[in-house]
Amino acid sequence: MKPVLEGRDVSRSFGGLMALHRVSFQLFEGEIVGLIGPNGSGKTTLFNAITGVFPPQEGEILLDGKPISRLKPFQICRMGIGRTFQIVRPFLKMTCLENVLVGIVGKDEKGTSREERVEQALSELEFVGLGGQSHRLAGSLTLLQKKMLELARALATRPRVLLLDEVLAGLNPSEILQALDMIEAIRVKRKVTIFWVEHVMGAIMTACQRIIVLDQGRKIAEGPPDEVRSNPRVIEAYLGGADA
Amino acid sequence: MKRAGLAGVFLIAILVPFFLNQYWLHVAIISLFYVMMASSWNLIAGYTGQVSFAHAAFAGVGAYTSGMLALYGGVHPALGIIAGTLLAGVLGLGLGGLCIRMGGIYLSLTTLGFSEILRIIITNEEQWTRGTMGLQIPGVFSVYSKTHYYFLFLAVTLAFLVLMRRLLNSDTGLAFRAVLNDELAASTSGIDTVRVRLMAFTSSSAMAGLAGGLYGHYLMLITPDIPSLGQMFLVLAMAVIGGMGSFAGPIIGAIALEFLSEYIRIYGEYHLLLFGLVALVIARFAPSGMVGLWEKIWRRR
Repeated sequence: MKPVLEGRDVSRSFGGLMALHRVSFQLFEGEIVGLIGPNGSGKTTLFNAITGVFPPQEGEILLDGKPISRLKPFQICRMGIGRTFQIVRPFLKMTCLENVLVGIVGKDEKGTSREERVEQALSELEFVGLGGQSHRLAGSLTLLQKKMLELARALATRPRVLLLDEVLAGLNPSEILQALDMIEAIRVKRKVTIFWVEHVMGAIMTACQRIIVLDQGRKIAEGPPDEVRSNPRVIEAYLGGADA
Repeated sequence: MKRAGLAGVFLIAILVPFFLNQYWLHVAIISLFYVMMASSWNLIAGYTGQVSFAHAAFAGVGAYTSGMLALYGGVHPALGIIAGTLLAGVLGLGLGGLCIRMGGIYLSLTTLGFSEILRIIITNEEQWTRGTMGLQIPGVFSVYSKTHYYFLFLAVTLAFLVLMRRLLNSDTGLAFRAVLNDELAASTSGIDTVRVRLMAFTSSSAMAGLAGGLYGHYLMLITPDIPSLGQMFLVLAMAVIGGMGSFAGPIIGAIALEFLSEYIRIYGEYHLLLFGLVALVIARFAPSGMVGLWEKIWRRR
């Protein structure tokens, strides 16, 4: 089986700091893969490399076998990679409906009328549970709602792969359960492959089939949650080794 | 309600020439020029967050292109104004293409430089432009009538505003605002941010060219004051004081400041100083300008 999204020896440095060092990964159709690691291990940098915000300096990223690492963020989005941000970035001074419409306009599918687009935007809002909020300004939403709005905007670009960057951070336990249901629905009903960075370990360990662990820009482990959890290198990375 | 309000404003605008004397009619015409200038500047500065200092320069491009075509080539002002509009747009595209990727302060500096270069060229190429003495050019109408000019300016301004409104309500306008709100989020949502900003810059430059062309043929004397930074800052003050990023703000700001500046004309160039100060205070304490203040007061009641 060919991977949907693949990274081959992806490297990226900032000044003298090696933020990503020869990281390789593969995501298969319909999979949900977790990406974990201590703070500063390169998780968000990897997402930025995939989405073209900070393209890799070495290595290659492929979507459906096509190289995308030389493309601009908007092109990568149009090819089918959507993302949310660790620190939410909805368009604060625009309404929820407009926020989602940006994603639809961004995808730039020809031959859809304004009405169809608005209808699609409304159904995305409905899907993430913001049905009645379409004319509220994004800036006035709660954190959970902002996260859901970002998710709706990303879904509006009809991604094949969705990168989630700490969607659960700052949510209370019942909100976490809601969000988990949502993510599962996106994977199953919308047939989106999900790559997911998270610090809430319990949640990611139960939701993901496979986990990739980064430490100091390198991939140190990969496998099913149980295996990763008992991996001595992972434990060392999280709890600190002999030199810490 | 809103529709009735607009109809009322339109009616007043049509009746204006029958109530104002020649002097105040002149002020009304000039304020329509500034409505076009401030609104189109708002398109880039207010809606996509790029502060261009070349807006007056593009008006100068429009005025001198059309004026010189009419004077030396006998081209009808209507065609000349179109040519000036296109040239301003093309120059905007070129200048924007050079510096829009750099964004922010670099765009401001490059446009500032362009503006000064253009003014210096116009001042020094005396054999063509007669420098600071100004160039006398033909008017639009064979018989001079301020009322005719007023209606011409009113028609063009209305068409201009309708066009702008449609642009802002379109997908392009949505993309403008997305880029202003959060450029990174816009680009990862599939918006080609460089193209969007270039489009805003080009169309806004062309609009300034159109306004400048009309302005020149009304004054029938074009000078390097049209593409000057003084003019630029007046437009900036109008947009900021009226309310950047809102549609009505620059329109209200332009009319209010143009009429106000006639009252404080006796203080000479100091009125620019005053407007600058007021603009600074507004930018600091009421960033959405008079329109924003009005909305705040309205909501509180």
